[in-house]
Amino acid sequence: MSFFDLKGTLKPLTALKQFGRKPHTIDFPKVSLEAADRYRGFHYNEIDECIGCGNCSTICQNAAIDMIRVEGVEGKKGDSGLRPRVDNGRCCWCALCVEVCPTGSLSLTTDYMYVSDDPDSFLWVPGIDNPEGKNKLSFTSADTSLNDFNRIPMPELEGMDRVKSFAEVVLGYNEEMARAEASRCISCGLCTEVCPDHMHIPEYINAIASGNDADAVRIIYDNNPLPEMCGKVCTRRCEDVCAIATRGDAVAIRWLKRYATETAKTADITYEIVNPEIKEPNGYKVGIVGAGPSGLTAAYYLALRGYDVTIYEANAKAGGATMYGIPKYRFPIESLDKQIEYIEKIGVKIHYNTKVGKDISFDKIYKENDVVFMGVGFPKAWTLGIEGEDAKGSMQAVNYLYMINADEKVEIGNKVAVIGGGNVAIDAARVARRFGADVTILYRRRVQDMPADWEEIEGAEDEGVHIVPQAIPIKVITDKKGKVSAIEYLMAEMVPDEKGGRPKPVPIEGSNKVLEITALMGAIGQQGDYSFLEGAYAEKIKVERGRFVVNEKQQTTDPKVFAGGDAVNRTADAISAIADGFRACKAIDEMLVKK
Amino acid sequence: MQEIKENLINHIKANFPDATEKEFDGNRLDFNVDKQCIPSILTYLKDRLGYIHLSHIACVDWLEEGEFEIIFIVWSPEEKMKVFIRTRIDRDKPVMPNIDMIWRQANTYERELREMFGVEFIGLEAPDEFLLEDWDGPPPMRRDFDTEAYADDTFWHRPGREDALDVREEIIRRSREEIPDFAKKYSR
Amino acid sequence: MREKATTLYLGPQHPGITGNMMIRLKVEGDTIVGATTEVGYLHRAFEKLQEKRNWLQSFTLMCRFCVPESDPMEESYARAVEAIEGREVPERAKYIRVMVLELARLASFMLWYGGQNGSLGLYTMGQWSVGDRNYILDLFEELTGGRVYHMYIWPGGVRRDLPKGFEQRVLKTMDYMEKRLDDYDDLMFDNAIFKKRTQGVGIVNKEKAIEHGVVGPVLRGCGIRSDIRIDDPYEVYDKLDFEVPTSDGADIWARALVRRREARQSIRIIRQVIDMMPGGSVYNKIPNPQKWTLPKGDAYVRTESVRGEIGMYIASDGGLNPRRVHLRGAAYVHAITLLEDVLIGENIADVSAIMNSLGTCPPEIER
Repeated sequence: MSFFDLKGTLKPLTALKQFGRKPHTIDFPKVSLEAADRYRGFHYNEIDECIGCGNCSTICQNAAIDMIRVEGVEGKKGDSGLRPRVDNGRCCWCALCVEVCPTGSLSLTTDYMYVSDDPDSFLWVPGIDNPEGKNKLSFTSADTSLNDFNRIPMPELEGMDRVKSFAEVVLGYNEEMARAEASRCISCGLCTEVCPDHMHIPEYINAIASGNDADAVRIIYDNNPLPEMCGKVCTRRCEDVCAIATRGDAVAIRWLKRYATETAKTADITYEIVNPEIKEPNGYKVGIVGAGPSGLTAAYYLALRGYDVTIYEANAKAGGATMYGIPKYRFPIESLDKQIEYIEKIGVKIHYNTKVGKDISFDKIYKENDVVFMGVGFPKAWTLGIEGEDAKGSMQAVNYLYMINADEKVEIGNKVAVIGGGNVAIDAARVARRFGADVTILYRRRVQDMPADWEEIEGAEDEGVHIVPQAIPIKVITDKKGKVSAIEYLMAEMVPDEKGGRPKPVPIEGSNKVLEITALMGAIGQQGDYSFLEGAYAEKIKVERGRFVVNEKQQTTDPKVFAGGDAVNRTADAISAIADGFRACKAIDEMLVKK
Repeated sequence: MQEIKENLINHIKANFPDATEKEFDGNRLDFNVDKQCIPSILTYLKDRLGYIHLSHIACVDWLEEGEFEIIFIVWSPEEKMKVFIRTRIDRDKPVMPNIDMIWRQANTYERELREMFGVEFIGLEAPDEFLLEDWDGPPPMRRDFDTEAYADDTFWHRPGREDALDVREEIIRRSREEIPDFAKKYSR
Repeated sequence: MREKATTLYLGPQHPGITGNMMIRLKVEGDTIVGATTEVGYLHRAFEKLQEKRNWLQSFTLMCRFCVPESDPMEESYARAVEAIEGREVPERAKYIRVMVLELARLASFMLWYGGQNGSLGLYTMGQWSVGDRNYILDLFEELTGGRVYHMYIWPGGVRRDLPKGFEQRVLKTMDYMEKRLDDYDDLMFDNAIFKKRTQGVGIVNKEKAIEHGVVGPVLRGCGIRSDIRIDDPYEVYDKLDFEVPTSDGADIWARALVRRREARQSIRIIRQVIDMMPGGSVYNKIPNPQKWTLPKGDAYVRTESVRGEIGMYIASDGGLNPRRVHLRGAAYVHAITLLEDVLIGENIADVSAIMNSLGTCPPEIER
């Protein structure tokens, strides 16, 4: 290797041929480089689609995203009202926030240049501070997401098998499925706002996910003494606003509550796990009319706070509509017994078969107690208002369910028609199926308008119940002995409402149909029975449009009397009744002790 | 592969009877030894059994158990086998024998462990500072040193982000929910 | 009494794109008699930061260990997490990972060309190779969304599938690169100045190599055929056909020859991968990242980066956050104890060239 390396000296000179080549660089700013389709530039958030769940803020590993209140965005059900703000001084554009956004509203754009002479202008609210980013979306989660959108399927008994008995249809999650389902939750908390009782949902779901079922039970019992019932039959408004439900299946909040409460197999074990702190008796007495969910809730929490509580229940068993209205295949009686036993264990006294107004007067309860709570419900059903409905074999669905749950025999024959589209109608239809009858439901609107739970409607169809929509019954036809033999009904057409409300069913002239039946059940609504309020009480405690008038503390127009449940609220489900009872308890406590 | 592992286990157990082994899938084999054996077992592996390449020296802080775990990973190009030699030392007085006469590169690893975890290597000759400059606090990689708290105390927070809110708190405030104290740790 | 030796401070900036590191040289005249390295300019404490980040958030820190070639770090992290959990990666994802790793290797070679020549004062190569590297960065931008830090390979697979027509663009770029590599040969390897400056300089012979635990091209430059891709194969390297070049000589010239041939092998691997890529999904989805825990255990995986063996040790205690993530780059060994040894007897002017040839990358040393 000498210094006179001719090849080594001349070869490099071939580099001069590069002079003829086009340069790599472009003439910026006359020509601009287009960023790639997937470029990770600044953020853009679709403000209307964003629900403010805060998942982006939690996953950001640089703590660059804050959730703040933004002008023009109000919080409402299913939306926290907060929106993300990105600190562009800390953001590293890893796009994890985009991957975990449940609605898919947050994306990155192809913008990558920002120049400003103000050193503090690096905090932006994407979507509001850069509206033009909408046209430049590049890195999105439209097709992919780190959220788990599929719910763990719930094992159930098969449709035609389960009609043969009253065995519970839903089989429940086992431990592995529950932990997997609980780990889908992103702990945003939007569900708690919609729950009438504001149960602490993310807390107990996270307890289940980390394996602490006992903690989950304690958290649930903090404001709900009938959680196993809710875990089986709640109307689950929480799942409607679940963040994951925006693009997938909602987290199975109700089934997880059921899983957690079922780990406490008896009332004794429940007592051991919850280990409630029962305060010393404070000398105040409370009388409660009706051992339905609202009465039981008020009783439980008042008893924990040291009150002397007595409940007067007209029926043989406690539970109200949850005992006598929900069929056993949805909610076994053993489950309710366990929960009532636990409530009685902490000191609540329940007098069964004691009807207020007959076995004991309301006046006596009023005078003997410092406060009275009424949870009397809507036990009476509305009549159908058609000719022949008082024939033999024509009954109200609520009464039918009551008798079946009270173990009485009811003759319905083998062809039953149920009028109505709510949960009561579906329950009655499915119970009748289990007695071997051929059941048809006649409902005046379309199937999608039925107020019943969609899972119940599907369950009914799987069990062979026929649903005839847009059918308006007009006459009950009886045989010579005065027993129901057929029902005549008209078909209806749906006419759109000019004011934008629900379309109305209008009967079509001449479309009469006749269905042969052996029993008819009406299930078109219920009302209250306030005959136990006699004399001055009936005047003092105001009733308006069939319901007690209460303020936001559940107090009626008589300050010593509180009320809750179906007789008060319009939502008419168990969790609202429980919420009413809880609110009443807090108000009573404030009124008597804390003042 | 299985024969190589068996062979190795027999060799090691013959000379170091207190070593406990653990087998894994693939080409990995673990040995747990007492810290006094470390120089001799590593020399044995390097000179006699062909594990000539020192791949890594790692340290894991098991704060709850009060111990450091030091792991030496060696590799044999002939047998294509990775061997982990693990040992545990006391966290309050961590002392290890120096091995940089076996592999010179161990000097760098030991310097880092000394600076970052506070492990003292007897006989190590190296300048005091390695990665940190003018640091007089506790060894920073130990789990009881909280860098977030240190950063909050020492550095200035740039203003402009004080209006940050928590979504769960906001919803609790709006619906007037009251979460019991024992449940608060599950909120996020 | 006159001192024979003086102490000079060299650094922390060096000609030749190595990174920030200082060397305290004891020189007598022009010859070095002692060297002490001082690192610490780039310590960002990533391993400590991971104590507060969960398994998914930690992956975004991984690529920042090394700037020119960030993908081997991401890939080692992903593979180690999958080893602890036992998670399967779809075949297509493995092929895409290999393609990304080899593209990163090529891009890093481009920088190395610039650095090695720049350290000798030959700046034209640097201009050429960094310019050509941009075409590879364009490919990365199209695939991953970022040019330098990709954050694309994560536990379970890769983040997104290939865009439409991507394979054609990669092949076109590879054709272009091959032609350019011929041009580089003319300018660099047939260059008398380069040869004279690099032959016989910075010798690392076999005994020194084993004692210091040398890896990568430095080891291959001594004549020992050692490469993680064939010794301890990972991803789909055992199905691919490529050479591992070696060269005797053990000096900077030998190592440069090794690297020159490796660049062509990378192009060969990329072409094979595109040919053999199966269909299917590219991601085995993890559960909700905020609740994803790994079983207790640990794993050590090794990857071959352009500088040598990268080892990633991860220990899990069964929780949401990693217990310990410890990366060891090739430069950890080469740039401290080995460098101090090799520099003795060399000229001051050659220090930069030796550093570059050994593969010094201070961000990797200090993390």
